[in-house]
Amino acid sequence: MNIYRFDIFPLSFVSKKTLEARINNYSPVKAQDVCASKTYWLETKKELSQEELAFIGKEILTDPVIEDFSISPDKNQSLDFEQAIQVSFKPGVQDNRANSVKKALELFFPKENFTAYSGDLYFLKGDLSKADLKRLATEFLSNSLLHNISCFLKDEFIQDRFKDLKTPKVEARAQEVEVVDFTQSLEKLNELNQQRVWALSLEELKVIQDHYTEPKTTSARKKAGLCANPTDVEVEIIAQTWSEHCKHKIFAAHIEYKEVAHPYAQVADKMVEGIYKNYIKKSTREIKQERGYDWLISVFSDNAGIVRFDDNIDLCIKVETHNSPSALDPYGGALTGILGVNRDILGTGMGAKPIANMDVFCFAHESILQKTKLPKGLLHPKRILEGVHRGVEDGGNKSGIPTVNGSIFFDDQYVGKPLVYVGTVGAMPQSTKHYPKTSEKNYRAGDRVVMVGGRIGKDGIHGATFSSMELNENAPATAVQIGDPFTQKKVTDFMLKARDLGLYSGVTDNGAGGLSSSIGEMAQISGGAIIDLALAPVKYEGLSPYELMISESQERMSFAVPREKARDFIQLAASMEVEATDLGEFTQDGQLKIYFKENLVADLNMEFLHEGLPPMKLKAKFDPLNNPHVPWHKNSARKTLEGGVNNWLKELLQRPNIRSKEDLVRQYDHEVLAASAIKPFTGKTQSGPSDAGVIALKNHGGSGYVAIGNGNQPLYSHFDPYLMALHSVDEAVRNVVASGGDPDKLVLLDNFCWPDPLPGKNNPDAEHKLAGLVRANEALYKICKIYGAPLVSGKDSMKNDFSGADEHGNPVKISVPPTLLATSMAKVQSKKHLTTTNFKRAGDWIYLLGKIENKKYLFSEFARLFDVDAQVNNIQDDELKIIRQRYQDLHSAVKEGLIQSCHDISEGGLISAVCECCFGDKLGADLQIDSHETALLVNEGLGLLVVSVKEKDQKAFETKFSSDCALIGKTKKEYQLGFSDEVQVELEDMFNAWRGQS
Amino acid sequence: MSAKVLVLAGDGVNCEVETAKAFEAHGGSAHIMQLNELISAPQKLAEHDILALPGGFSYGDEIHSGQVYALKLKKHLFKEMQEFIKKDKLILGVCNGFQILVKLGFLPSPLEERSATLAGNRDGAFIDRWEELQTWDSVCVWTKNLPASLFMPARHGEGKLVFAGDEKRQKQIYQKLKDNKQIVFTYTNDINGSYGQIAGLTDPSGRVLGLMPHPEAALDEELNPFNSATPSNMIFANAINHSNQINKTKEGLL
Repeated sequence: MNIYRFDIFPLSFVSKKTLEARINNYSPVKAQDVCASKTYWLETKKELSQEELAFIGKEILTDPVIEDFSISPDKNQSLDFEQAIQVSFKPGVQDNRANSVKKALELFFPKENFTAYSGDLYFLKGDLSKADLKRLATEFLSNSLLHNISCFLKDEFIQDRFKDLKTPKVEARAQEVEVVDFTQSLEKLNELNQQRVWALSLEELKVIQDHYTEPKTTSARKKAGLCANPTDVEVEIIAQTWSEHCKHKIFAAHIEYKEVAHPYAQVADKMVEGIYKNYIKKSTREIKQERGYDWLISVFSDNAGIVRFDDNIDLCIKVETHNSPSALDPYGGALTGILGVNRDILGTGMGAKPIANMDVFCFAHESILQKTKLPKGLLHPKRILEGVHRGVEDGGNKSGIPTVNGSIFFDDQYVGKPLVYVGTVGAMPQSTKHYPKTSEKNYRAGDRVVMVGGRIGKDGIHGATFSSMELNENAPATAVQIGDPFTQKKVTDFMLKARDLGLYSGVTDNGAGGLSSSIGEMAQISGGAIIDLALAPVKYEGLSPYELMISESQERMSFAVPREKARDFIQLAASMEVEATDLGEFTQDGQLKIYFKENLVADLNMEFLHEGLPPMKLKAKFDPLNNPHVPWHKNSARKTLEGGVNNWLKELLQRPNIRSKEDLVRQYDHEVLAASAIKPFTGKTQSGPSDAGVIALKNHGGSGYVAIGNGNQPLYSHFDPYLMALHSVDEAVRNVVASGGDPDKLVLLDNFCWPDPLPGKNNPDAEHKLAGLVRANEALYKICKIYGAPLVSGKDSMKNDFSGADEHGNPVKISVPPTLLATSMAKVQSKKHLTTTNFKRAGDWIYLLGKIENKKYLFSEFARLFDVDAQVNNIQDDELKIIRQRYQDLHSAVKEGLIQSCHDISEGGLISAVCECCFGDKLGADLQIDSHETALLVNEGLGLLVVSVKEKDQKAFETKFSSDCALIGKTKKEYQLGFSDEVQVELEDMFNAWRGQS
Repeated sequence: MSAKVLVLAGDGVNCEVETAKAFEAHGGSAHIMQLNELISAPQKLAEHDILALPGGFSYGDEIHSGQVYALKLKKHLFKEMQEFIKKDKLILGVCNGFQILVKLGFLPSPLEERSATLAGNRDGAFIDRWEELQTWDSVCVWTKNLPASLFMPARHGEGKLVFAGDEKRQKQIYQKLKDNKQIVFTYTNDINGSYGQIAGLTDPSGRVLGLMPHPEAALDEELNPFNSATPSNMIFANAINHSNQINKTKEGLL
């Protein structure tokens, strides 16, 4: 084999501001002293001539207008640098750039077999030691789970980099299929369980043991020529299928709920036989019946919920979390997350086209480092933000899907595990020439099992089981992977074409658990499947059968293809340079049979696999007064409130949870597909924050619009997760109604991210956290019913804890606050209903909808910033009913054209909302409120909105809302905010503060 | 007969649907085709009047934006594309399409050594924002009668136009483009460090237009953040009219 190294040298030293976001906390180096470039290794049997090398270097690997390349040490480079850092991939890590290089080489050397590898080069200037370089490389420019680094002084780089050229080739040997002795003691089995990252509980091990010792099983296995004990392939499949990630065991558990006297909403002691069944599914079923909603096409049964807001198309929506992978590698974790939820949409019904992405992150803010040191093993919060943001950016932009809605919430409690929610909306025709109902899969025994897309490697092995475990310092490297948006885009193009040609009968995505989950789930419909793993295309040799079965290598979909169409299906794929492989057949004998060549390596009873696990029995006890929230670090001092509004408003607007995220959001393409009617930022300045993203359906085969919003208020969980759930759901609903969404054509998604609620040595307050989960669901059920908002899809992530040690070696556990993200999607009937947040002209009336507590401070961003005595209010059902009526009145006012602008009042209260309404079009406002009425200005609460109304519409508006609205001011031309006590605030200053520019 | 538009798709291109709709809205008959399909039947290109290379992230923007896609065109369709231009036909490259045309050497001037590229934005970040463009008096047939300024969404990470050579040579290249009236659009604000704030270029014939901002996403008032007029429509109307005119003349000659 010949290895050739190509280094790319920019013709001039170009530094990029974006590098600042990655390295600016590292004082010896400034972004302007770093120039990023690339390096490549090509491996081939062919001896390349000088001409060929020059061709590859000049035509393929460089842009000759701005770059030169070097293939030998003697070449004199004009680039002025003093040091260099090289970051290359470890063996087996997805290398997208190298894959594109390989494609380019195939164009010109079609007969040669090349392997390509790529790396990043950073050229540096300044007074830097090798130690400085090493620190910069390890802490900021690489991730030790994925990368190897080399640091050079200039002369070393010139001379040494061609010595001992090596490529990160994977060298692995496949393990033989192993029989696991399940007759041994449970303790012994549990040791094995931990070694192999099965994440099974003792009870589950026992269920498996019982199953494999049952005479029925042993005799059936004997007949099939298998030994009584399970193979490692079988145990791995069971472990994946039964993982918390795939099986949602906590939401199915039987829970005995109790509560001790407390000041919050009373929930009677009860037995809950499955939270999912008794709250989530139940509310949707009842809403559908009571309100006669015939537009809920498919809920909770497919990869995403399907709803009908239109005559021609159906919409589907799904939100996922990718927390554990993002904690280990923020970029790769977020990228695979967004691509994964895109695949959920592709795999819904007979396939939908993703038309919009959204993302919500919960992070610790970098200012945490001013309060405390981070436990070992945790990434710098800024690095998590930068990486996750870049992952979502690449995932959306490179897939051609607009990122239309999202938010970032900061709290110190998320330092142990960031929450990364990624969601996608898809559109599908209601029927096609070949499918009478696109929303339904239609395959049966005899159809072929075909895997499409990326090849299988060791990446992502044990992702599903790993994410069902607590994060610790020794997390496995294979749990980390990098997505490949290019391959997935090709799969998408292929799949939509195959759908329109009617070439398949069923489809689902390959996500957590890999083939084990996708084929395992699909086989449930037909009644079984038989596949040969040896047929599966691999990235490299050396994969064991169980690895082939559970690898989570990305960008794959599994299809059911009728026998007579299999050839056309595979040919179409090949013509579009997409790999499609026939692995076997769907059957109906009730067994999942896995072969590796001629050997039967797994023969699992489908009923046992999917129904064999009895529900857990758990206890929940809500006793908040004896189980107060204890922050893991003690330094949470608040500032003293001094002076008037001109003193405190700026600081409030600069709060990470209030300030504009425009700088980050503009890096997402939010209008590819040319359908984004309400974009993340609005108004003539394009800087006023929007409440929801609104997509026009015209370009997607439909009519009208759809609004997408979210609500996320996790900090109320410090008091009562019941309150948290109410606040989150209300905010989600409010955001879409404020944007013109119809409250009677509105659906919700629930995504729970909880601290571990299972009892254990290291988890003394498990019962309290589980009680919180029950209470959050009580609230969710209640508010969904009152608002008439059905839940159509959801997900839960139940291990959001980190265990490690602080700087002194003392154990520390950091858990996220119980967090429910509510995502909303509502129909917006017509263009006239599109409502944005910016005040439209001077002289409009400003109204407050709803009543704000003005006698005392309530728990709020203001109260977290300033040392004021703040309380929380319980929310009665009647109040929810009033708010529901308000949303209907608001929508009716929108339809009548009475509303000029509408903005929800959230973090930062009324005053922040009014400022944001001014920012969109650079208008001002005079408020009929005294600037010293601070509580009124900053309190937050449910159902509050600020709207502007034309002068002439005053009467019609006030008649509609009567006592539920209050006239609070008037818009004006001058860019100032005035108060009734004649205090004026300059909005330009506030705008700059809010944008983080002061 | 309405003008026939070939819109290339596949390999990571992602604005093909709205680009096809933009031509159809002005009477064109648009055909979305996978690049591989065209490569397997290159004669199909000549059956069309307009070739559109839409925006997207071909080959994931790896190595450089448009790099691998341009190599693929060079390998398989270079001759056909040259013939296409010679026959008075039109080519549009938006965003990634512009990057591809530049890397392919079709812009700013074919048959010369590459004198320009679209490099990473000055700040290194992707941006999506509606930007004001100044329309220049140019030879471009696509932009006839366009108002002096208009808004379109700019959505790119590599949109900084860079000329080859030292400062003097760069100046010469710029001056030549100016003299040839090949500069079509400039940004009012310096958003990405582009030389002369150039946002769009045409070739000396005026029939090839490449621009970074997205006219196909600026056609509907409802997508326009200022609720103002949508002159970008004229770009597509001009192209369709031009093609219809040429076809009419040809028919007349027959």
